[in-house]
Amino acid sequence: MKFRDYYEALGVARGASETEIKAAYRKLARKYHPDVNKEAGAEEQFKEIGEAYAVLKDTEKRAAYDRFGANWKNGQDFTPPPNWNEGFEYADNSFGGGHPGYGGGFEGDQSEFFESLFGRGKHRQGGRGGQSRQGMNFKGQDHHAKILIDLADAYNGAKRTISLHMPTQDATGHVSTQERKLDVSIPKGIKAGQNLRLSGQGGPGIGEGPAGDLYLEIDFHPNPIYRIDGKDIFIDIPLAPWEAALGTTVNVPTPAGSTLELKIPAGTIAGRKMRLKGKGIPTSAEAGDLYVVPTIVLPPANTDTQKEAYQNFEKAFDFNPRTHLKG
Amino acid sequence: MMAMTNIKTTWIEASVVENEVHMSIVELSHASRTPQELIMSWVSEGVLSPVGSSPQDWRFSGDSLKRAKTAAHLTHDLELNVSGVALALDLLDEIAQLRARLQREL
Repeated sequence: MKFRDYYEALGVARGASETEIKAAYRKLARKYHPDVNKEAGAEEQFKEIGEAYAVLKDTEKRAAYDRFGANWKNGQDFTPPPNWNEGFEYADNSFGGGHPGYGGGFEGDQSEFFESLFGRGKHRQGGRGGQSRQGMNFKGQDHHAKILIDLADAYNGAKRTISLHMPTQDATGHVSTQERKLDVSIPKGIKAGQNLRLSGQGGPGIGEGPAGDLYLEIDFHPNPIYRIDGKDIFIDIPLAPWEAALGTTVNVPTPAGSTLELKIPAGTIAGRKMRLKGKGIPTSAEAGDLYVVPTIVLPPANTDTQKEAYQNFEKAFDFNPRTHLKG
Repeated sequence: MMAMTNIKTTWIEASVVENEVHMSIVELSHASRTPQELIMSWVSEGVLSPVGSSPQDWRFSGDSLKRAKTAAHLTHDLELNVSGVALALDLLDEIAQLRARLQREL
């Protein structure tokens, strides 16, 4: 297990006051909040600072953590000494930064380091609203998870087995992570950011209450060929200069798996989009469009013959691409 | 030797929330883990725009669930008040539109 330097995570000195810690946390939380920051790694950062804040804002936890001293460095191999936290009492065992729906799983994904020191946060059964459970019947908790699908699945519909990791609590209150597999039909026409509702697949009901629902937020696996904007899809089609100038016919692969023949007209300019109407994601309303974006690729002049070809090119044209610069 | 068993897979049919589901305030409150009073204050601030005249009749559709979840996260994690959440969501929408435009013109 690696040691985590919570002071470093928040960028504060070990002697920092509660106010300084809070201010540092707030600033970083706004910067790395996964709803605000879409950069890769932001979510991980957000969890780290949440974990650091959960420890440092709590007087008892902070005091216990401080007993390790300043000699420990971030990432150093670490095993907590036996009875290290003797004499400390924690008012609550829950983790402050719990964030439903992130990380492809559910709540309570603290680091191993945090768990070894302070135990696992309780899975909040009642959710944010807070519910009394005594002798009452309640619908089970709704669960949220993110899943990644292929763009082709949105074109054709698909059947996918997805695995979710969810914390479950046994009668003694012990929390463990269980893997759960679900066989889900992905409907044709789904877009990134949309949610699928799976009725009754959430948390178990309380008393006689029905089970909660499971919401799956859809996103696409990164695709090297297509760019996706809602239901519209963009694909770059590289052309040789003579193909753009004289026109040609190219094969355009569609995300659905088929190939379309597209006529490139003579005099095609790089960046001038061509729209293939209705060839985007086939949503239930109107299907999106597939946009072909031509780019022009110059072949390198390596051999003498190739250089001569470019020289002939020059001779054939009275062409100055910089006339508008008046240089 | 273990007997071969044929496992029959039952595919769970799901509904697309944004197209097919019109949630009541009770459902939205449950799904976004937000008290109903907070949802009402988001509606009055224009963060959510349900159809219907009174809270009992309200039906939330489209991206309401997504917006409510984001609003709940921002309220909880950054301790934003209702107008702060409304402003943040407006700015996030604008950033998303600009990103989409950038993507198109890439």
